[in-house]
Amino acid sequence: MPENKAAVRVFNAVKYFGALKALDNVTLDIRYGERVVIVGPSGSGKSTLLRSLNRLEIIDSGRIIIGSSDINDPGTDINRIREETGMVFQSFNVFPHKTVLENVNLAQMVVKKRSKKEATHISMNLLKKVDIMEKAGQYPWKLSRGQQQRLAIARALAMRPKIMLFDEATSSLDPEMTGEVLAVMRTLAVEGMTMVIVTHEMGFAREIADRVIFMDSGAIIEENVPEIFFRNPQKERTRLFLDQTL
Amino acid sequence: MAQIIRDPQKNFHNPDIAGVRAASGKKDSRRVTAWGIAFTGAVAAVAYLVIFKRDPYLAIFKFLPDGIAVTFQVTVSAVLLALIIGLCTGLARISENKIIHLTASVYVEVIRGIPLLVQLFYIYFALGRIINIPAMASAVIAMAICYGAYMGEIFRAGIQAVPKGQMEAARSLGMTSVQAMRHVILPQAVKTILPPLGNEFVALLKDSSLVSILAVSDLLRRGREFAAESFTYFETYTMVALLYLIITLLFSRLTGIMEERINAGK
Ligand SMILES: Nc1ncnc2c1ncn2[C@@H]1O[C@H](COP(=O)(O)OP(=O)(O)OP(=O)(O)O)[C@@H](O)[C@H]1O
Ligand SMILES: [Mg+2]
Repeated sequence: MPENKAAVRVFNAVKYFGALKALDNVTLDIRYGERVVIVGPSGSGKSTLLRSLNRLEIIDSGRIIIGSSDINDPGTDINRIREETGMVFQSFNVFPHKTVLENVNLAQMVVKKRSKKEATHISMNLLKKVDIMEKAGQYPWKLSRGQQQRLAIARALAMRPKIMLFDEATSSLDPEMTGEVLAVMRTLAVEGMTMVIVTHEMGFAREIADRVIFMDSGAIIEENVPEIFFRNPQKERTRLFLDQTL
Repeated sequence: MAQIIRDPQKNFHNPDIAGVRAASGKKDSRRVTAWGIAFTGAVAAVAYLVIFKRDPYLAIFKFLPDGIAVTFQVTVSAVLLALIIGLCTGLARISENKIIHLTASVYVEVIRGIPLLVQLFYIYFALGRIINIPAMASAVIAMAICYGAYMGEIFRAGIQAVPKGQMEAARSLGMTSVQAMRHVILPQAVKTILPPLGNEFVALLKDSSLVSILAVSDLLRRGREFAAESFTYFETYTMVALLYLIITLLFSRLTGIMEERINAGK
């Protein structure tokens, strides 16, 4: 993977929900291997931005380039883009009618057309990586919430994504489970995965981020390396936000 | 007895409510008894009439099975066709394409506003004008068009009952909407869809008696033919009613068991 080449480029993205401007001229570049953390108050457009990156939301104007494809270009195969951009949701969204192993196998077999044997081999390695291998034959409701979220991460990784998007992956977990999920995310970071992370965990943001982005009212207010962002924020709004959260 | 198998399924998403077992077990056994009384009663009545009263019941009993076969044929074909129409209608009703959505909605509104018997006549004679197809086929098509609308609503509700995040998760893994529907949404929707679908099946079985008015020799029509020739109206319709009762009871039980299987299985 070429270093320093842009994995994600967002130009002047604007998104309305009715009269509400959820994204206000957002422009952003993310390099391969970079870990970008997005913070901001509730309703500031963090999820909308993240979901726009794999077209779960469609922007009204502007452009979003993933790798070398404009994802809103009618000629782009969005399903290929989505394979390459794994997404992890606050609500896990594991498939309740499938076992843990089947959860990870499904898209590999349906989308990547891998054989069951090949998919299972890959899945078992990933389940081991997220430390739920012994749950492979169980249905998700038997898992703790933290284990379900780790399953969701394994499921996304099975598509061999180049970019991982995390939308408040730990917000509905208690501290212990949060720790388990953050540990998996840390492993991915060490491996050089390109990650875009929306989180309220400021400690984790400071530790893992190459760059922190602060959003408010749909716009990017400030972005910086974590050392400067947290110690010496440049904008008044950022300072107010950090005062409230830290 | 088989009702007790219901428990693990009820606890499928909720393993912590084993305490409910005793209470629901009591209720279930009461239902089994009601079904048991009705079913045993009907079978016993038929057996008594045919074996001990013999005349004219034995003759009626011999005359009717052809009609039962036709009733089954109409019901099963209509259900299969209605399932296809229903699935398409259900999917169309949640489609983002306005024209597809509107077409399906109008279909459902129109069908729901016209009595089945009127539809049967209408489609039967309308089809008869355009193409010459057997009475049986027009009856099946008419029933399917009608029931397809109702089943469409069942499919729509079942699909919409699956949390929105499931579709998003499937799509974000790169599945097409068809793949996501097939592998993620519909298998989950089946749980919600199956019980009302079973009811529709039994309802359609009963409504299939309406086709006796079109020249289709189903159970009811065979009964009418026999009664008209022998003037044994009371006796004939007693048998017809008992046979319908036995069949519908069997099928409501069968759909119940199928439902349990699906829920308890996976
Ligand atoms: N589908 C939608 N329809 C209408 N409005 C929406 C929709 N999704 C989001 N919004 C609105 O857009 C704004 C931005 O929402 P978004 O979910 O992106 O915020 P967020 O920064 O992720 O907030 P949180 O921290 O609470 O998750 C909010 O005002 C929200 O109410
Ligand atoms: Mg959000």
